[in-house]
Amino acid sequence: MLNFTFAFLLQQVEDNRFAQMRHAAANPDLSKFLWIGALLFIIGVAGVLTRRNIIVIFMSIELILNAANLNFIAFSRYLHETGNANALAGQIFTVFIIVVAAAEAAIGLGIVIALYRNKETIWVDEIDLLKW
Amino acid sequence: MQKYIWLVPLLPLIGAAINGLLGRKFRFSEPLIGGIAVGSVALSFLISVAAVYSYGFGGHAEWPKPYLTSQDGFSFNWIPGGAVSVNQGSEARIQIELQKNLEERLAAMTPEERSQTKGILVGASDSPRFALLNIEWSYQLDPLSSIFMLIVTGVGLCIFVFATGYMHGEAGFYRFFAYMGLFMFAMLVLVMGSNFVMMFVGWEGVGLCSYLLIGYYFDRQEAANASRKAFITNRIGDFGFALAIFGVIATFGSAQYTDVFNQAKGYPIELLGQWGILSWIALGLFVGACGKSAQLPLHVWLPDAMAGPTPVSALIHAATMVTAGLYMVTRTNVIFQHSQTMLLVVALVGAATAIFAATIGITQNDIKKVLAYSTVSQLGFMFMACGVGAFVIGIFHVMTHAFFKALMFLGAGSVIHGMHHEQDMRRMGGLKKYMPYTYWTFMAGWLAICGIIPFSGFWSKDEILWNAASTTHIPLGWLVWLIGTIAATCTAFYMTRLMAMTFWGRERFLEAPAGGEADEAHAAAFDKGLTQHDALRPSAGDRPRHEPGEHVGPVHEDVADHLATHGHGGHEHGAHRPHESPPSMWVPLAVLAVLAVIGGFVGIGPAFRTVTRSEHPGGRLNIVTWLNPVIWNPSTREFNAAEGVEAPVAETEHAAPPTEGAGHAETGASVYGQTGFNLAHSVEASTHSELATEWIFIIISLVVAGIGMLLGGLFYVWRPQLANIWAQRLRPLYVASYNKYWVDEFYGWAVTRRTMDAARAVYAFDSRIVDGIVNGLASLSRLFSRIVGGIDKYFVDGIVNTIAAFILRLMSPLFRAAQTGFAQNYALVMVLGLMVAVVIFFARDIF
Repeated sequence: MLNFTFAFLLQQVEDNRFAQMRHAAANPDLSKFLWIGALLFIIGVAGVLTRRNIIVIFMSIELILNAANLNFIAFSRYLHETGNANALAGQIFTVFIIVVAAAEAAIGLGIVIALYRNKETIWVDEIDLLKW
Repeated sequence: MQKYIWLVPLLPLIGAAINGLLGRKFRFSEPLIGGIAVGSVALSFLISVAAVYSYGFGGHAEWPKPYLTSQDGFSFNWIPGGAVSVNQGSEARIQIELQKNLEERLAAMTPEERSQTKGILVGASDSPRFALLNIEWSYQLDPLSSIFMLIVTGVGLCIFVFATGYMHGEAGFYRFFAYMGLFMFAMLVLVMGSNFVMMFVGWEGVGLCSYLLIGYYFDRQEAANASRKAFITNRIGDFGFALAIFGVIATFGSAQYTDVFNQAKGYPIELLGQWGILSWIALGLFVGACGKSAQLPLHVWLPDAMAGPTPVSALIHAATMVTAGLYMVTRTNVIFQHSQTMLLVVALVGAATAIFAATIGITQNDIKKVLAYSTVSQLGFMFMACGVGAFVIGIFHVMTHAFFKALMFLGAGSVIHGMHHEQDMRRMGGLKKYMPYTYWTFMAGWLAICGIIPFSGFWSKDEILWNAASTTHIPLGWLVWLIGTIAATCTAFYMTRLMAMTFWGRERFLEAPAGGEADEAHAAAFDKGLTQHDALRPSAGDRPRHEPGEHVGPVHEDVADHLATHGHGGHEHGAHRPHESPPSMWVPLAVLAVLAVIGGFVGIGPAFRTVTRSEHPGGRLNIVTWLNPVIWNPSTREFNAAEGVEAPVAETEHAAPPTEGAGHAETGASVYGQTGFNLAHSVEASTHSELATEWIFIIISLVVAGIGMLLGGLFYVWRPQLANIWAQRLRPLYVASYNKYWVDEFYGWAVTRRTMDAARAVYAFDSRIVDGIVNGLASLSRLFSRIVGGIDKYFVDGIVNTIAAFILRLMSPLFRAAQTGFAQNYALVMVLGLMVAVVIFFARDIF
């Protein structure tokens, strides 16, 4: 990743066109969004796998979902620029995902509250009812 | 009125349906059942009379053209058969086509051309034709079917009325009249159908009803056996009939009478020694007629059929059904006259049956058996007439026989009824005093069957014998005449015997009552030393068995109790004294007696032309004039011309050349070739007068009838002991006749026993070999399955169980450990799996 960044910077420096650099920063191309999305996804997965607080796990899941949303938006914009007529589909998908995530959050938090009332804990390593 | 004749068969069917379907359920009373049955038949009779009148005598009379109901729209395509290959009789057809072709070519030539022509080339195609066979359901009214319609419905009506009295008190009253109505329907379809297939339907229908009615007392073994015997024997005949119908369709491509006979009349005549398709068809038809009309090889069922109720015997086994064979032979006279061989066969079979049955009738003791053999014998006379080419006379005899034989059967029924179900004539005698109506009406029938001059039987029987003597259709006419004359003598003898034993002489029923020990002893004493009395054996009559312990003594002390237990219908009787029958029984007798007396006047023979001033007096009312148009004339090769009603005498003489071939024709000789010695012609050669010759034969037949009656009177009235003496002197003949020439025994040995043996052998084969194979295979497969089962149980299951146990022991801790219950472990596995999937999917791009 670092190699890539440096190469990018070097290229800009060598070209010596700062205005162009600014333009590029204002109009990032597709790969940058994908990199951000991938980072968000990895952070989310890591959070789900490593954190013990169920609320945090929940937040990590939201990160994963938003990583996907970001990808959708990015591709939508990319397709729009390349003149594809169906470019709006990605945005619609994103709206759907936000709605579903909201619903999921409502249900999930309800479950967490119910769990807490029963088990007096929100630490996932203390919840092993799925065990055989 | 002709257009309503479809109602004639339908009405009895409706009556039968009402009685048969509702009679039991709604417990119809006897008057209601009888009223429905008699009413439907009476309506049929009235419609028949009206239809025949308008057909033959009305303003727009169509006689003699056949009237088909399809002309007025009553017909439907009953069997749409489609195309049939007409592949039989092609030689004859080719010959006809060649002849026609030749005649056309000759007609087209001028006389000069004709004289110069040396030869003409004509051709015909022998490729099989195809015809469109559609069998329609329509009724035909023509001279022949009209006579049968009137006989069936008229005599049937009398018998129905009689049966309401005779069957009074029977448990199956509704059933009886349902069957009888069904029979009327079938018989009317038989005689009124317009094609062979309809005739076959009626033919089978009457066979079925005959079976049902013979077996009416189905709880009695002999009735059940007799019905089966009748049915099976008729099957043999029906087989021939069915083959003949197939032959007709394969030869003419149609089953409609009018089509078939129009084609058949052009076919060449097959003389003696020639045997073509028409002979085959005629043979099949005659086999059918033999079965239905009880001719010689197949006659055995008719005497046994007397196990049915007496009105059934009168209607089915004397007046109508058994004459269906005659109807069929006369209907197809075109075909029969084309085969001289079959004509000879018909005549000889008829003659043989006549003498055979007449000689058996002499020694029978059951009153109905005597009448049954008499019927067989008279049917033989009718076939004799057909065989010598006098089809009209055969039908004439059918008619007169229907009158006098129905009369005598009903009279016998009246006697049986009056004698409280006693049928053995040896226990009768002197009934004249007790049953005057029955006696006097029976007397008319007796004189008619013996052939005494003004009575109906004389006219028809004498004409049969005269035609046999003068026939030019077949050789051996003199032999047929001789046999017929002897049979007529026997007829007069046994009918006189019946009269004497039943109505005259000692009142033997007073000497010993019916049934019981004393009765057997009496019967044995009657023909002491002659033969074992057959009362110990089951008789074929409709006499109910006396139960053991039942009171059969000479006088009933307690009449009321006796009536309650016997159920004779409530009429009074003390010491089994006979009594006259109720009016519902003797009125039909009186009607039939009148017919038996005057019925013959429609057929006064040509011998009386000096008196009647006509060859066939009466115009269309004369049966010969009426029926002649349905008879094919071999010399003109056309149907006989109808005599105009305006001048019957003149017409006969004018139309001499075409009609002369009928009875005493010189032209007929050329058609059928030289037929050898002809009795009538020889006599005529010495008397030089046709009229004198005819009178000689009339006198002969009267004399033989008189001899028969005198002998009967001598043996059974004036010198009763003579009967036993002569029976002893002619003991072999007597025993043979008494045992009916052992025909039943022979059939039992030759056919029934063989069939049973074959059945038993087949059964043994089936039970031992076929079943053995099957059972052996079954036990083999059981053994095999036991082995397989053992392998399965111990070997396969063992392996499976072992593996299962191994997996269970070894693997379960491993898998159990994977189930930590922590959601994050599962999520980790998911993510790892996702990564593996990504690696697998993108391996090519990454590496």
